[in-house]
Formats: sequence, C-alpha cells, structure tokens
Amino acid sequence: MLPAGCSRRLVAELQDALDACAERQRQLERSLRVSRRLLRTWEPAETPAAAEPTPEPETDEEAPPPAGTPSPQDLRELELLTQALEKAVRVRKGVSKAGERHGALSLKSAAPSRAATASAPPRTSGQAGRQASETKPPRGVHQTTVPARGLPECRLPSVGDRTRMGRGASTTKPRPGLRDQQIPPLAAPRAPEAFTLKEKGSLLKLPMAYRKAASQNSRLWAQLSSPQTSDSKDAASMAKTQFLQKMKTTSGRPGSGLAAAEVEAEAGLLRKACSLMRQRMEEVLSADPADRMQEYHCLLTLEGLQAIAGQCLHRLQELRAAMAGQQLGPWPEGRCCRASVPCGGRTDPTWSPQLLLYSSPEELQSLSVLGLRVAMLDQQIHLQKVLMADLLPLVGAREPPGTPWLALCRAVHSLLCEGGERFLTVLRDEPAD
Amino acid sequence: MGRRRRRGYAVGALPEAIAALSQTLPAGPSPEIFRRAKFDRPEAAPALWQLLFRVLSPPPAAGASPALGAQVRLVKSALCSQGYPRRVLAQLPEDGSQGSRELLLALAWLLARGPLLEHLLAQTRVWLGDEIPLCQYEALANPGPPAPCQEADGPVDIRHLQWLMGKLRFRWRDLITSQQELCALLGKIHSYTRGCHSDRSLGHLSVAEIQLLRDPEGGQQLLQRLESENTRLEAALQWRRQELVFWQWMDTVLGSCRLEASPATVLPRDPASGPGELELVAWELQGLHGELQGAAEPRRAAWEAKAGGWGPEWSTAQRAIQEAVGRDLAALQRAWEQGGAPALPHRPCRLVKRDARAVEGPGLWAAELTGALRIRESRLEAVLGRLQTRCRQELARLAGAEPGLIWILPSSR
Repeated sequence: MLPAGCSRRLVAELQDALDACAERQRQLERSLRVSRRLLRTWEPAETPAAAEPTPEPETDEEAPPPAGTPSPQDLRELELLTQALEKAVRVRKGVSKAGERHGALSLKSAAPSRAATASAPPRTSGQAGRQASETKPPRGVHQTTVPARGLPECRLPSVGDRTRMGRGASTTKPRPGLRDQQIPPLAAPRAPEAFTLKEKGSLLKLPMAYRKAASQNSRLWAQLSSPQTSDSKDAASMAKTQFLQKMKTTSGRPGSGLAAAEVEAEAGLLRKACSLMRQRMEEVLSADPADRMQEYHCLLTLEGLQAIAGQCLHRLQELRAAMAGQQLGPWPEGRCCRASVPCGGRTDPTWSPQLLLYSSPEELQSLSVLGLRVAMLDQQIHLQKVLMADLLPLVGAREPPGTPWLALCRAVHSLLCEGGERFLTVLRDEPAD
Repeated sequence: MGRRRRRGYAVGALPEAIAALSQTLPAGPSPEIFRRAKFDRPEAAPALWQLLFRVLSPPPAAGASPALGAQVRLVKSALCSQGYPRRVLAQLPEDGSQGSRELLLALAWLLARGPLLEHLLAQTRVWLGDEIPLCQYEALANPGPPAPCQEADGPVDIRHLQWLMGKLRFRWRDLITSQQELCALLGKIHSYTRGCHSDRSLGHLSVAEIQLLRDPEGGQQLLQRLESENTRLEAALQWRRQELVFWQWMDTVLGSCRLEASPATVLPRDPASGPGELELVAWELQGLHGELQGAAEPRRAAWEAKAGGWGPEWSTAQRAIQEAVGRDLAALQRAWEQGGAPALPHRPCRLVKRDARAVEGPGLWAAELTGALRIRESRLEAVLGRLQTRCRQELARLAGAEPGLIWILPSSR
C-alpha cells in the first residue's frame, strides 16, 4: 500500500487525465451522432413545433405546413408555374442543345417575397447574376434566389426531371450557380422523395438571414481584432496605465508584485526552457566534433547551457521564496482560473478563424490522429514526471524489505519504464544447498 | 452632445460608454448598478459579485451557478492570485452584501490589465465551422494543479494505479478511432455539399450549417445566438470608441476611496495543494544542470590538457567561436521567453475541403501542419523515452543492491 499523501496525489492526477479524455470522447460522440444523422435520409416536412423529429415521414397529405409556408393560393399559382416550367423544359430540350439555356427562359418570380420559385438552371451567363444574388433579392433576369421563408423548403428538392437537369448542370460547370430548383413540398407530389445529402447535398442553400448574420459576424470580428492606431486608443491606454498605477499606490502594499498566476506562468516558461536546453544538449552530445574548432564550440555550448541552467535555477529559488512568503495569498481554488484572463495582458491580436485546408479525408485523418497523439504524449510525459517524483523515493526507501518491496519494485518498473504495458520477472537465486 | 463643460468629457458620453460596457459583458448589470456602485451602495453588490464570478471563471456547463457565498469566495481567491493590489477586497463579507465600490474598482482593474472583453467574447464565440483538435487544447494534456478534494480516500494499492493507467490507455485508443471515424464522415459531408456556400473561399457547408437547414428550430437558435453575438460585438466596438470617458470617471471613483491604513490580513493558505508545479520544474532543472556539468567538466579538462601551441590565429578563431555560441544561446533563450514561433495554430481552425490544385486564398494546408506535428511528435517520444530510460537506470541501481535476485526484463517489441 502506498502512503496516503502519495496515493491521493497520484490518483487525483490520473483521475484528471481520465476525466479530460472522457470529456473529449463525449464531444466526439456528439459530433459523430450529428454527422451520422445528417448523412442518413432526412425525414421530410418536420414541423418546427415538434421538438424531436418524428421517425416516420409524414404520409399525411394535409400535413400541417411549417410556419412560413405559402398560402394555398400561392401554392396553386406555384403549381401552375411548375407545370409551365415543365412544359418549357420539354420544349427547350427539343430545341436547343442540352445544357444551353438563355437567361430569357428563366422565370422571374412574381415577387421575391413569395415563398419559393422555381427557376431554370443558370448557365455560364449566370455568373454575373450570382454575384448579385448574394447580396440582395435579385431583380435580374437570369436567376432568382429563394428567400429564406420556411427553412424546410430548402431541404426538399424538386422532383425528377428538374433534379436531373440540375445535376446535369452541376456536372458541366464546376461550380453550379443557383441550385435550388425547389418547389415547396406541398405543391409537389404528395409523397415527397427522401432527401439524402449524398445525392442532393449540392442543392442546399443557406437562408438569407443566416448568411447576412454570418457575414456581419465575421466583419465585426475582423474589426474587433484589427489593431487600432487612433488617438483615442492611445489616450485610453495611457489612462489605463495611470489607473493601474494609482490602484497600486493606494493599496499601500509593499509586496514583490508577484501574483500566483504569474508564478505559474513563469514556471511554465522555465519548464519550456529546460526542455529546449535539454534538446540542444542532446544535439551537442550526439555530434562528433570533426576538428578542434568544433570541439571548442561544443565545449562552450555545454558550458553556456550550464550557466543558463544555473540562472534558471536561481530564478526558481526566487519564485519559491516568494511563494513561501506571505505576499501571494492562496493558490486559486480548483481550476477556476484556468480559463480566466491571461495575466500580464499578452494579447492574441487575431481572433478571426483561420482556415485549415485539406484535400482528402485520409489527410484529415492522419492530421487529427497526429494531433491526438501529441496531446496524449504530452499527458503521458506529465504523468511520467509526477509518478517518478512520487514512486521512485518509495522504492529507494526500501521498507519493508522482502516480498512486498519486490512487488512494489515490479509494479513501479512496469508503470514507469514500460508505460504499464509489460512486466518484468523477478527470480530469487537460491544458493544450492 | 457637445462639450458643455471644461471637464474634458462630454456629458452623456459616460452613460453611453457604461451601457456599451454592460452590453458587452456576459451577464452585465444595468448601468444603474454602476452608478450606485460609485457611491458604495449595498444593493449594487450582489450583481457585481456575480458579474466578477462570471468573468473570472469559465461559464458553467449545466447552468447551475453556485450560491452567492461560494461565488464570493471564488472571486476573492481568483483576484488575489492574479495579484489584485487592494486588500480591502479580501475583507469584504461573504454574504455579498457590501463593497460595491471595491468591486467596481476590481472590474476596472481587470479591464485595464488586458483584453478582457475580447477574451470573454472569444470564450462564448459561436463557431460555424467544423474543427479538429490540434494541440492547442492544452487543457486536455495538462490538467494543472490537482483539485484538492478529489479521491481523498486513504492509501491505495499500487494495483489501483496500474488499473487507472490501463483505463487511460484504452480511452485514448477509443478517442483515436472515434476521431478517425468523424474525419471520414466530415470528408463525405464536405464533398457532398460542394459548391453550396455563398462564401466562395469556403466552398462547402459545415455540419453546423447543414444542421441549420435540417432542423429549423435549432437553426433559429443558432441564428439568435449569432445575432446576439453581433450585438455584443457592436457594443464592444462602441465601448472602444468611448472608453476614455469611463477611465476618467474611474479616477474619480478611486479618488473617493479612503487610503488604506489597516495592516494586511493574510489569508490562510491551503498547505496541501500548492506549488507542486514548481517542485517538478526544480527537479527537472537540477537534473539537467547536473548532466550538463557532468558533460562539460571532463571536456574542459581534456581541452585544457591539450592547450598550448595553437598559435596566434587561434585567438581570433577562438573569439569568433565565442561570439557564435553567445548568439546561439541568446536565440535559444528568446525561443522560450517569447513563446517561439509555433507552426501550429493556437485557435480552432475551420475545416475546408479544397482541391489540392487550387492554391489561391488564405489558409493553412493540412499537409504542412502534419509535417510540423510529426516533428513535435518525435520530439515528445524522445523525451518520454529518455524519462523511461532514466527510470530504468534508477531502478536497476536500487534493485542491484539487493543480492540474490535475478531481474528478467520484458522483451521489448
């Protein structure tokens, strides 16, 4: 049995590591559930009122329309429109080559505020129209966008022909323009086709409200993170510095000015220093000096590193003394301060998200697995150090001698030297009697 | 509003600034609270305690925040550990009924020290893209000083530790396979929605956006969160334009406080938790220092033994080498002091699937990151291997003193 203090510390550390893994696993499983669901067939016509999507698709023809769907009169008009379009398509197919269509054919919507319109797939002439469509409801001839009235409409694609033609369009052009040749489900045949992301994913379109909000969001973040150079900013930062100074002087505290959080940060820096220095030392020691100049270089490097290590140790003693003194107050309770403001104001100026580009799922997989492995190694190294600090002295203390100590040795060896995966064997070499 | 008086700030700009501040802050109290706090009114105190609690600790996951007393204690300890200079704070009663002026000063102190508002906004940021974990998730690797009251049972058997380690290994294995599966699914989703996004540089939808289309109710919520974040961002920008007025006002608030005359009351420190981190670093540094000494001294002795008869051109070469080594080591020192230049992003990145042939546009390529991560992985493996070797040597030394035993090491795979 291990002593109580040691037990508590080690179990707590291991438990922390386990909890962190569990939390990450939970998040992963949530994402997996969501993604799997999206890749399955989408159930059509879920009402917004329903909290959970019903498992069976609604076969009821008079399914209650989702909020925002068009009135019956609109639907009748749309049905007429649809029929007209179908006829036009048949005519056009016979007249022009497949895939060649002029903007004149595309129908202007009655008003963009109507629920949905069907429009012809744009061709190369649609390029210019597309730009306009991004910003506001277009009045151009070439295409009309579907305003975001009732999100469910976007999900259900049109029937048969149009879909195929849409698909034809997307194969001829690398970037299909308007792709929502969509008819609201209630105007379409009564049993709407099931929607799968695989077949019709490229037909999706984000609602306008969302697009506006998202672009405004990224614009605002960019503004917030851009460095300001105005006079008011300088005046403000001067005022802030003065305020901090005044706060310090009115407190009457003569203290060393070190906060526990700052000590922690410095400890982290020293840890990093140690590992960088060790790395350099390994490089020097493994290199074979070819001539005496290199030999001298190695010697000086090693002595220089030794000096720096000595300075770091000195700094560490100062930090320990400050911690032991009365100036600092309590260590933060629990881990509440982990996520709090980084002290000292080390700013991270760019808050806008970067893009991580990948070209194949395998690339993404190997990258993410590497990321996890690095995190795992970090954790293992931390645990290794903690275990070493607590367990090696126990073995060294060698009490009680005898079988329990041997068992301890064996267990400690396995934990510390083999990552807990393999065990050594101990044989007692009895002298032959 | 023009400047009516020569006071240096426009009347009416202050309420606007405070309103912008309170709108930007999460759970921001109304501007009236701020005004009352200047006069140290007791009714303003609880709201400010709660605000500081929310600012200083991460948002509660389940939405159940602790009682006011616990919040007060946490705020005090957090501010103290960050080095809050005024001791009056520590003496405020724990029922949260007093000290609104001091709390106002504490809030201003936090605001002045760093980009608090930006940090808070980033904490609750609405992410619209898909991410994968890269090693910026420090919280996963280093849990930090252990929370004191976990597993505080008595002595445990070492087999319990072995069991926990095994459990940890299995959890990591699970994590890796789940992550691989998720990446495959994301790849599919991204390629199926190719060409849909209104933003050309993105090109395809993310899971959050498809969710938006599939579930209108969830989509509404996302939209609302986006819009409220936009409101807060606009308020933050307005605050930036007007904050000077606030600081001038805070000067007056500070001026109205009495100078502290009472001696410091020292808060009792918890001896059980504490600077374990410092001890670990000290142990490492001492080890390193010893090794360096062990490597340098014999070499110096050997060098001195060979010295002499090098000739005059040697001294110039010697100086050149000294300078070169000095520069080298200075660069090394800068590397850890300034955090180096990590090739890895320190913030979640939005995943975008893009044809390898398309080169335009900003963004990090996964292939490059993979390279950087592999280097990091091999370094970490080397570190771990070194630690394990050190343990092996140490254990061999300790066990070797015990006669009459044969230690058969496991065969390494």
